[in-house]
Amino acid sequence: MFGSNPATTTLVAMALSIGVLAGCADAPPESDPEARAEWKRLNDPLEPSNRAIFDFNMAADRRVMKPVAQAYEHYVPQYGRDRIHDFLDNLRAPLTFANDVLQGDVDGAVQTFIRFTFNTGFGALGLFDLAGEGGVPYHSNDLGATFAVWGAGEGPYLVLPILGPSNPRDAIGMAGEFFVDPFDYRVGQVGQTWAVYARAGSDGIDRRQAALAPLDDVERNSIDFYASVRSLYRQHREAEIHHRDGVAVPEPGYNLTSAKDSEISRETN
Amino acid sequence: MLSRRLMILATLAGSLFLAAARPAHAEDSGNPKQFVSNLADDAITLMTSSGLNDAQRNDQFRKLFVGSVDLPVVGKLVLARYWRIATPQQQQEFLKLFEDMLVLTWSNRFKDAAGNVTFHVVDVRPDVDQGVLVDSQILREKQQPIPLIWRLRQTDGNWHIIDLIVEGTSMVFTYREEYASVITQNGGKVEGLLNAMRRKVAQLSQSRPGAAAP
Repeated sequence: MFGSNPATTTLVAMALSIGVLAGCADAPPESDPEARAEWKRLNDPLEPSNRAIFDFNMAADRRVMKPVAQAYEHYVPQYGRDRIHDFLDNLRAPLTFANDVLQGDVDGAVQTFIRFTFNTGFGALGLFDLAGEGGVPYHSNDLGATFAVWGAGEGPYLVLPILGPSNPRDAIGMAGEFFVDPFDYRVGQVGQTWAVYARAGSDGIDRRQAALAPLDDVERNSIDFYASVRSLYRQHREAEIHHRDGVAVPEPGYNLTSAKDSEISRETN
Repeated sequence: MLSRRLMILATLAGSLFLAAARPAHAEDSGNPKQFVSNLADDAITLMTSSGLNDAQRNDQFRKLFVGSVDLPVVGKLVLARYWRIATPQQQQEFLKLFEDMLVLTWSNRFKDAAGNVTFHVVDVRPDVDQGVLVDSQILREKQQPIPLIWRLRQTDGNWHIIDLIVEGTSMVFTYREEYASVITQNGGKVEGLLNAMRRKVAQLSQSRPGAAAP
């Protein structure tokens, strides 16, 4: 989710240990197979601790991240925010490229390579996404997705402190990227660690600003905000990894014929 | 916090149902692409037309919405296994509250999105159960288009929406997981969900006067 940064590693480790220490939710009894299937599908055995961390995140968000993002939106004009956004996207390109390659996604790798060289060279070090305007669109990729393509399961749903919804596979991917990000590595090497923090901070503000209206909307319209976010996140992540063309559509996952007889069932993913 | 694209969801979700309103006049029911683009056109006209007050606009939106979404089927799909343990009375009340929730949610979202996005239908392809999937895109200035898939079924010779899928995120599935969670937290009782829905509908109606059902 957030770009790699030193804090990420600590937070991931923290979250993993909290998950282990906190009690798990009880699975429904064997006698209720439907409830068990649902429990399995939701994939959230750590729900009690996840909810606690989610509440903590929301409280921290209200006090710090959201006001900062609102101020950013208020004081920095759209044009300036676009430049910062394009610049941050471009900084991530080497990692995206590496993951495209690791996944054998030749088209993706070629696109990312063209974008990076073009935008870095002609787009003022990435401030301007000229390649995007020229028809080579941005796509995201990350180490968690690479693990997934290699066959790793996501593991249980996990809410990370500050960083938000994730799972062990993606959390480990995020932590792993910290060690190999060329930009972070290089500035660390020349003793300019502040740049790592500046980048992580800008990345966070950029993302939170983009999320201002949509997240408010989901919160306003849901009865159980936590459950809505969990569902949206997991479905979206699944589609991001397995249906990149945006054309593939998940199976209905419900039996319409029987829906008419009120016999609704959802096959497991 | 959440991924940027996920965040975009709600925004576009707004624009989804902008298209989910159906005109009072008869449609070319045979052509799903036409059905979807007519909905979009009618909804845009409704939301941007002057001379209507909020209450009238909401009222008309509800009519279009109810006419184009197969609410009983969507409601059953959302409540899923709990539909069977619900009493007939609870089922009816659920459908009514669900309609209120959807209409309030989507009319608000649509109002916010109207004017900021354009919409266009890309393709149509077959789906299971003799249904179709209509691929469409929400276009925003200087940003990548957001893919939106409409899952349609024919009922009584007319196309109806049974689900909307934005970037892999199904509306039906999201509501189902949310409501299942609410029911679980209320000791597995459907009544607990209905209470929560009543409160939510009241809250949403208050923030937009005139939006509630008469």
